[in-house]
Amino acid sequence: MQIFFILGIPLVLAAGAFLIKKQKVFGMINCFGYLVVLFAGFGVLKDTLLSGNNISYFGFIYLDGLSAFFVFVTSVITFAAALYSFGYIRKDIERGIITEKKARLYYLLFNLFCLSIFFVPAVSNLGMLWVAIEMTTLVSAFLVGFYNTKDSVEAAWKYIIICSVGIIFALLGTILFSYAFSFSGGARSLNWPDMAASAGKMDKNIIRIAFIFILAGYGTKAGLAPMHTWLPDAHSQAVTPISALLSGVLLKTAIYAILRFGIITINSAGFQYFSNLMVLFGLISLAISSGFILVQKDLKRLLAYSSIEHIGIISVGFSLGAPLASAGALLHIFNHAVTKSFMFFGAGNIVSAYKKHNMNAIRGVISALPFTGFMVLAGVFALCGFPPFSIFFSEIMIVIAAFLKGSYLVAVLLLVFLTVIFGAFIYHFGRMLFGNLPRNMVPAGEPLSGKLAFLFLFIQICALGIVFVFIKKDLIWAAQRLFQV
Amino acid sequence: MQAIILFGILLSTYLMIIAKRTPALIRSFRYQSFCLFLMTIAIALEERQIGLYIVSGLLFAMKVCVIPHLLHRIIKRIQVNENLGLFINPQLSLLLALGFTYLSWIFSAQLIPAGSKTGVSVLAIAFFMVLAGIYLMIFRMTALAQIVGLLVMENGLFLLASAVSGGMPFFVEIAIFFDVFVSVVIMGFFVYRINRLFTHIDVNKLSRLKG
Repeated sequence: MQIFFILGIPLVLAAGAFLIKKQKVFGMINCFGYLVVLFAGFGVLKDTLLSGNNISYFGFIYLDGLSAFFVFVTSVITFAAALYSFGYIRKDIERGIITEKKARLYYLLFNLFCLSIFFVPAVSNLGMLWVAIEMTTLVSAFLVGFYNTKDSVEAAWKYIIICSVGIIFALLGTILFSYAFSFSGGARSLNWPDMAASAGKMDKNIIRIAFIFILAGYGTKAGLAPMHTWLPDAHSQAVTPISALLSGVLLKTAIYAILRFGIITINSAGFQYFSNLMVLFGLISLAISSGFILVQKDLKRLLAYSSIEHIGIISVGFSLGAPLASAGALLHIFNHAVTKSFMFFGAGNIVSAYKKHNMNAIRGVISALPFTGFMVLAGVFALCGFPPFSIFFSEIMIVIAAFLKGSYLVAVLLLVFLTVIFGAFIYHFGRMLFGNLPRNMVPAGEPLSGKLAFLFLFIQICALGIVFVFIKKDLIWAAQRLFQV
Repeated sequence: MQAIILFGILLSTYLMIIAKRTPALIRSFRYQSFCLFLMTIAIALEERQIGLYIVSGLLFAMKVCVIPHLLHRIIKRIQVNENLGLFINPQLSLLLALGFTYLSWIFSAQLIPAGSKTGVSVLAIAFFMVLAGIYLMIFRMTALAQIVGLLVMENGLFLLASAVSGGMPFFVEIAIFFDVFVSVVIMGFFVYRINRLFTHIDVNKLSRLKG
């Protein structure tokens, strides 16, 4: 039942953004709406993943543990983004960067974007999954090009073109999957339960080729290197709350799609095939992103490349196949979503205070913005995988699983890249956070809703690392069932 | 009958690859979509399914009428140079296209499992269209050519879907049509914006963001 709240509220709010003229009132309604979505998301998680049931409505909506998990992650990040948008958009209006009318457009697009993201894990039909993912691209292209500058329009164009081509390949893969399904004697259907049930009977040859198309296609959207080229542009040019959504959940929806097809592939062509492809793309992503992080000059692009790195870690995690690694990868999806959104909010505050993206021109953040400064400092350690923050736990699970499985090369490469990235992060952020304040800067106050968004995510980052120790068994058990049909 | 229509699709795709100017490209796209429409209506007459009639009607309305018309309007409104800006000249492009056709033939012959009723030629032409679409997107410089390239890829997939599995399920097909239409509108909107901000639509010169 909760899923209808989750899908309905963004729709109602999108209409509300159109009708309600007072910006401040609507911002509050928006936050409240996503608070309800957050609770509903937790309800869905409780009904499915933690109790082991599947929910299905009219054969159109289908939720099992995997999709409920993604719905939950999305609901957390959308709530934080709604909170942060409230202060951020008002500041933009006060400064005259955007008009009141444009702010209404922003809220309209924001809600449509959230709606399309929620649709991805909720639909049962793999064709509709494709449509939903393409919708996320189309709606968010406007949010990437929102400020209508040369840079942002260029980023939006590259985003829409590269992702559309990628997604066409995903459709090609979907058609081949449906071919394999109908050839194995199935009806003309793309519904997940039907397809998963007959995965074992499908033609291996076709499935192998189809999965390559799926991985290349949805991998483009997920930001797996070398198809990642749109990602740094789009993430750095989008409105900040949208950067958080893009990085936190949009990439994960594509990972979700890869997993769905991956489960069929595993049951048809065997685990090794899936594993080899995932580990290959994962390690390439880690290698490329660590290089770009080292030499990066732009703050938001730095965080974008870090997203590519974490997507790489997640795909390496899923490639190992051990329940511990799958649980780690799932947990990492959540942890990366909250931590990266947290960092993007911090970066957004820094950029709007200094009016620059260039890290060489940003100094003394801790004295200029004390709250943001300290939060970002904690966030850097969290993002690089320091205990007691949650990313440490998910990363260590993946590394341990790799050692236990005997994939020493993978484990060592993972650790080497993580170390390089850690060094680069400390170098870049150390110079930005500390140091002398530029002369014409005065320490400024920060809006309360922005602070609330930080605190909300910070609790998730810290607490989950501790709560997790207690519920570990449940999670691993859930992860173990994940790849079984 | 089917062979003639398939030949028409193949021919119109070659025409697109050797086109030098945007209007010619769009005209050939219209021919291609029309052949695709004939193909769908032929299948619909054979199978007598109401869904297939609707799909072919939508195909005609969208890809033969509305989308080419929209693209023509964009050309008229922005009034830029109509040349496509070729990286590779038509003769060489045609040779490459022949190579692509051969490759997709080999690929589809490999793909089809023993005992399948699907014809190799349909599959080969569908894959060739996907390749041709990518080719147009990479080796033609204007933003409009990229939109058309994407549409050609989409047409190829439509052919593939109707060849291998009798089309996607009905409501998925409708949703995909809607999606393609919306994406063309949005891309057209961005072409306007690019033209206004940069005073050209040469995507090769969009290189402000790096690193």
